[in-house]
Amino acid sequence: MELAPFEQKNWGSSRLSSPVPPLCRTQQCCLGIDEAGRGPVLGPMVYGICFCPLSKKQDLEELKVADSKTLSEAERERLFEKLDSLKEYLGWALQILSPNVISTSMQQRVKYNLNALSHDTAIALIQYALDSGVQLREVFVDTVGPAEKYQEKLQERFPELEVTVKPKADALFPIVSAASICAKVARDYAVKHWKFLEDLEDVNLDYGSGYPNDPKTKEWLAKNLDPVFGYPQFVRFSWSTAQSILDSRAVPIRWDDSDGHEKASSKGSQSMLAFFGLKKDDMRRPAHRFFQERKLETARDL
Amino acid sequence: MMCENQPGTLIKLDLGSLTQAAHDAVHLLPCEIQYNGHAAVDKYFIPTIHQGASAKEVSFRGRPLKGQEIKIPAGYVGLVLEENHKPCSEEKGRTVCMKSTFLSFTQWNLETLPSADDCAVMSLMWPKISKAIHQPVDNEE
Amino acid sequence: MLSRKTCETAARPDQWVLIARDSLLELPKKPGDGTFFTRLRNPSTGEGALFLFSSCAQQLFEIKVFNEDYHSWFIGQTVQHDGRLFFATPMDALFLILYYLIKAEKEQGKFQPVDQVIVDEEFPSSHILLQCTQAVQSLHHVTEEKEIGSKKFYKYNKEKTLKWLKKKVVQTVKALKTNNVCVGSAVQSSTFIRSRQILDVTEEDYTRYAHGLISEYIPEDLSADLLKYLELPELSKPVAQPPVKKRKLSDKPVEAKEDYTLFNSTDLNKKKPSNKMTAAQKSLAKVDKSGMKNISSFFSIKSVSKK
Repeated sequence: MELAPFEQKNWGSSRLSSPVPPLCRTQQCCLGIDEAGRGPVLGPMVYGICFCPLSKKQDLEELKVADSKTLSEAERERLFEKLDSLKEYLGWALQILSPNVISTSMQQRVKYNLNALSHDTAIALIQYALDSGVQLREVFVDTVGPAEKYQEKLQERFPELEVTVKPKADALFPIVSAASICAKVARDYAVKHWKFLEDLEDVNLDYGSGYPNDPKTKEWLAKNLDPVFGYPQFVRFSWSTAQSILDSRAVPIRWDDSDGHEKASSKGSQSMLAFFGLKKDDMRRPAHRFFQERKLETARDL
Repeated sequence: MMCENQPGTLIKLDLGSLTQAAHDAVHLLPCEIQYNGHAAVDKYFIPTIHQGASAKEVSFRGRPLKGQEIKIPAGYVGLVLEENHKPCSEEKGRTVCMKSTFLSFTQWNLETLPSADDCAVMSLMWPKISKAIHQPVDNEE
Repeated sequence: MLSRKTCETAARPDQWVLIARDSLLELPKKPGDGTFFTRLRNPSTGEGALFLFSSCAQQLFEIKVFNEDYHSWFIGQTVQHDGRLFFATPMDALFLILYYLIKAEKEQGKFQPVDQVIVDEEFPSSHILLQCTQAVQSLHHVTEEKEIGSKKFYKYNKEKTLKWLKKKVVQTVKALKTNNVCVGSAVQSSTFIRSRQILDVTEEDYTRYAHGLISEYIPEDLSADLLKYLELPELSKPVAQPPVKKRKLSDKPVEAKEDYTLFNSTDLNKKKPSNKMTAAQKSLAKVDKSGMKNISSFFSIKSVSKK
């Protein structure tokens, strides 16, 4: 699998896709969606879609794509090659969300949670298929969260489509299994070939599965902590596993929206005073607004 | 507090140190890092800066920053002053030397695009206004 | 560790970021006569403040500091917790001398040599001001002079001082205009009013603003006298109520197109509105923008529901 467009900008979010088979533009199609790498504290999260004409559902079934999780890595890669070769009727697309996108989205001032991020990514991929001229009819989605609400949301967004959201859809619908294989292969490849932007000479790449409960992953996180920067962008800072190590072992950082409790409140009252130019030892004349607006003060000492 | 700075005490600025001063890259961050000392800026920070759609972008501790290059006003120079604490017993006054000089720095905001309205940028107007206040007035009546 | 603690103020940093006039870096002509920071009396508040003398006290520098919460510096391969930015700008030492001349006028009211006037036990460095030749040579701006023998005697003169200060105000107004400083009265409550404001800025607004800046360097009584001298009416309230008409305009959003026309139709088109917001408004505005922008920039679709 070639992930060059993502690898060149692995701090961002990239879409990779196959050409759209001409058949998909003329015949009614089904589309499956699945994600890979939602749980790990390391590496990107990948969304995959696969689509084919309804008339080709049987062909897909005969490929025995099954649930990607029950297959070995080698089997999945072989199957992806197979799927990718069915260019006359099967199309796919991937959205790769880098760990940096996940960290920075989830830690925005206005928090953007992982479910919302997942849903929006899935919606964007369906929209991509529609925009590419795919004659979509049925959409099958695998979900980890509550299926009903998600289904409602998608159905409302795409009223013209028949949307089915189901847990374990990747084992139930071959088109979702196919999407799952695409996503999983991409995720594995991205993690295995991760190009660190950071200038880390001898970073140990033995980080295990990337799942927070994997001892190897834990050990890697413990050993690769930088006291100021924390981790390279390969790590999802927003994961509680990473957060708790940072909280206990890295240099404390305070942002203007940090949920500092007593400190924040005292800061608040302080800045109120500063707003009126009042300082406890300088109550007479507030500084001119030129200085207040620029946060300029008279220095008293070095 | 024997070494407390008493009013009237002079703090010498060692101009001779200028020749040895480094030329360091300087970044103003939108957060309080509660630490003084070494930071692997060249390993973690500099290589991850990239040009975004309308500003430089980077992330720090998993939070998105947007930055702009700010030039030190003409006729001015950026200095990093450092005080080398001498043993308490010495009755000598304080001395600060110049550790580093710079002519521009990068100002980073959390999420928001940097602009001319940011306080840090606005504060850099001070030398120009100050000049008008403090330059000698014309002598003629 | 312990001994370090006893002789240092725990909170005192040992590194500072400073922006300084490059003339400060000229090496002293006489060895031993160095450049140094010291504390002098702020002529406006009467309290101690930090100043800097360049070599041979040729020039006095005022030290201001940009001090906004939540900042730190990266300097080379180090982090500096203290995110403040110091400024060392040349200062007219006559402001500091004037403080003592006024004090002497109140206390003794007679002609005196200037070295007898500048005596301050609390700030012993004050006498260095006498080495600021330019300031000493401009004493005539604020005093009457008498020369007896080779010795000069000085007495504070308010009229001359006000005349001098007025010139300061005039040159400050000029700088405010060239630098597009937003001097409009009233604290604005939204961006819309703010961009309006610039059109209504009067000469009086500039003068008042400059008077406020100069007042940072003179005692309060003199500031009040200067206000009268400049024929600026005293404001009953510090914040003028915006006229009703202006408020109406602000009720509905102003379209950009309309704004530009207005700017171009006046001779004020050079003055870009420099957007002033209170800290709270600013952070609110920032929050809004950031939330929207980041989400939509990830996805090409138009309506992204975020919950």
